[in-house]
Amino acid sequence: MTEPIIEVQNLKKVFGDHEVLTDINLTVNAGEIVSIIGRSGSGKSTLLRNINLLEQPTSGDILFHGNSVLAPDFDITHYRAKAGMVFQSFNLFNNLTVLENVVTPQVTVLKRDPAEAKQHALELLNTVNMDPFINAKPDQLSGGQKQRVAIARAEAMDPEVLLFDEPTSALDPEMVDDVLAAMSNLAHTGLTMIIVTHEMAFARDISDRVVFMNDGVIAEEGTPEQIFNAPHEEVTQAFLKRYLNRA
Amino acid sequence: MTHKYWLFMIALLMTLGLAVAPGATTHAADNSTTLKVGMEANNAPFNWTQTSKANGAVKIDGASGYANGYDVQMAKQIAKQIGKRLVVVKMSWNGLQPALTSGKIDAIIAGMSPTPERRKAIDFTSTYYKTKLTIIVRKNSQYAKATSLKDFKGAKITAQLNTYEYDAIDQIQGVEKQSAMDDFSAMRVALTSGVIDGYIGEIPEGITAATDNKALSYINFSQQNGFKVSADESDLAIGVRKGSTLTGGINQELAKISQAKRNRLMKWAVAHLPATSSEDGNWFTTLLKQYGGMLLQGAGMTLLISLVGTVVGFLIGLLAGIIRTIPRPSTAGKRGLRALANWLIAIYIEVFRGTPMIVQAAVVYYGAAQAFGLNMNRTLAALIIVSINTGAYISEIIRGGITAVDAGQFEAAHALGFTHLQTMLKVVLPQAIRNSLPAVTNEFIVNIKDTSVLSVISVSELFFSAETVAGQNFQFFHTYLVVSGMYLIMTFAISRLFRLVEKHMAGPISYNLAENH
Ligand SMILES: Nc1ncnc2c1ncn2[C@@H]1O[C@H](COP(=O)(O)OP(=O)(O)OP(=O)(O)O)[C@@H](O)[C@H]1O
Ligand SMILES: [Mg+2]
Repeated sequence: MTEPIIEVQNLKKVFGDHEVLTDINLTVNAGEIVSIIGRSGSGKSTLLRNINLLEQPTSGDILFHGNSVLAPDFDITHYRAKAGMVFQSFNLFNNLTVLENVVTPQVTVLKRDPAEAKQHALELLNTVNMDPFINAKPDQLSGGQKQRVAIARAEAMDPEVLLFDEPTSALDPEMVDDVLAAMSNLAHTGLTMIIVTHEMAFARDISDRVVFMNDGVIAEEGTPEQIFNAPHEEVTQAFLKRYLNRA
Repeated sequence: MTHKYWLFMIALLMTLGLAVAPGATTHAADNSTTLKVGMEANNAPFNWTQTSKANGAVKIDGASGYANGYDVQMAKQIAKQIGKRLVVVKMSWNGLQPALTSGKIDAIIAGMSPTPERRKAIDFTSTYYKTKLTIIVRKNSQYAKATSLKDFKGAKITAQLNTYEYDAIDQIQGVEKQSAMDDFSAMRVALTSGVIDGYIGEIPEGITAATDNKALSYINFSQQNGFKVSADESDLAIGVRKGSTLTGGINQELAKISQAKRNRLMKWAVAHLPATSSEDGNWFTTLLKQYGGMLLQGAGMTLLISLVGTVVGFLIGLLAGIIRTIPRPSTAGKRGLRALANWLIAIYIEVFRGTPMIVQAAVVYYGAAQAFGLNMNRTLAALIIVSINTGAYISEIIRGGITAVDAGQFEAAHALGFTHLQTMLKVVLPQAIRNSLPAVTNEFIVNIKDTSVLSVISVSELFFSAETVAGQNFQFFHTYLVVSGMYLIMTFAISRLFRLVEKHMAGPISYNLAENH
């Protein structure tokens, strides 16, 4: 399981004259769980959005199974289906019911048979305890419920990689645990996960590796024990101190 | 700034296209087996509309009702003599000349005089009726006893738009010239209600008005005290296309019809005007009995045009919405194509929102015929114009609806691997349509009302039918009251219907928990 699935090479992203990502190098292996932590504004979301091409990198390269996703003949649609994303603001399709939210992408993008897609959707909604709500519209659900549906929707595409951008930040504290539980169930099933989070305890428990970002670069990376118990860099120490004090 | 520039360019291109056009005028119609004659069918006793074919009336082409009058009888006689089948086309006065030059009709027999201005655009046959100008006044007014133009000092006088009668007002010293009006029926109402003191018309109109309405009379001026009018104007002639092969044949036939015969025919026409007084019973049932069918047909046409126009306009709006939201492609070629498409859509919207529909109708219907010899069916032309016009408005409405959809919806769809089209069709447009529905309903209602401007191309929608009815029964208030009611019923029904659709699209307020399995 040490074959690299995503390789970010010398990635740079500039918005206007604002250089958000300076020079990012990150290799994620298949099946690995990587957490990205860092101060607000350090570029974590931007990195994830570049990885699944919601933003176009300014320079550098991103490889998926060794192939550049920026190559002109690269099949982006297929790649996006294989590298799913879970957003902080859920982004469930407001015009569709819970069930349709999970079925429609499978049918539309993967051309799955609708009956098969529905079966798959019901199983996944069951694992996140959202099967009683299949007829609800997104605006009739709580934040935690929405996020669990969003996770089921991403899973339904049978992705190899899932990108999570602060999936619990918009939630009330009592709903966070359900979502984290849904994510824990996915970990170590062979699925590769890249998780941007401010839930330090969760990151420590679930991750194989933790990446600390600061001002558009990766300041430090290592195992959870190494980052949380014995950070080398001063910026890392300062960042964690604030978090651990708060906890 | 750049928008203005492009608008200017388009205007220039259109003008050029039309300027080149006369050379391309079609003459094919001249050798056909029919003689298509244009008239208002609302200018008694020369021409009027009646509901039956009594007294040798001729069915009006593409509309309900029959035309009769001096012009119709004259046209029948001429058509018979030159061996063609007569077709009467009813249209507004201002539509006559463009209809002739664009080949929609072959001749104008409408009480038109061959003024020098008109001669520049079309040819005229020899005279088919000679007339004199009069002023129609109220019997009980001081002007009823007038004998000279001098007696009309300080009087409020008007006449029909674009006629020599209107220019003749200037011969009255110290007159209060009123703005021109559209037709005689409107002027009669203005006169009886006291808005004006008199209007200028030809003697036959004087006879008709006085016969019709006992409160009115007309002044028989002597040669030296009346209007000075050139033969070009007092002589009514038949308008034909420049260089038309019909002229010779028609002139030959006209020469055979003596002055005495003409006067007799005019007397006959005045005597056979459709009855305007109603039978007993209330005015409402009388109106419905007599003209209900015509008004319902008009309402049907209005509904058809606005429904098709709104639906097609809506599809245009969706298409524009899909194209305008295409994300920036990576290759330069595709980027250029996208820019071009966006640019064309922007021009389309600006042009069709920025010009009145009545002008668009005239350009499409008459302009296309004149410039390209394209002879469109009137109803088809109406459908096209309303669709394209509505499309321009709805494109902007849908754009607003799309803007209101959260950017996260696009991102989630793209992140799942949806193509742009799939994103739009499955996720964004359903939400955008829901956002836009109230405004689209509004467009539909506006269309119901605005199709009335299509009378310029003689589409027999509700307003056109109403004008015809009012022109026959002179019950302006009652007729338009009924027609207002019909418009209201249509618009009210539509707004209720769409309210239901909105509710349906919003879905149930609550959901049922599914059974656990
Ligand atoms: N589309 C954009 N245009 C301009 N600047 C942007 C854009 N997106 C992000 N930025 C800027 O990039 C910087 C990094 O933003 P990013 O959202 O990646 O931070 P983050 O690490 O995810 O922060 P947080 O923890 O608050 O989510 C910020 O300063 C932000 O203002
Ligand atoms: Mg972020």
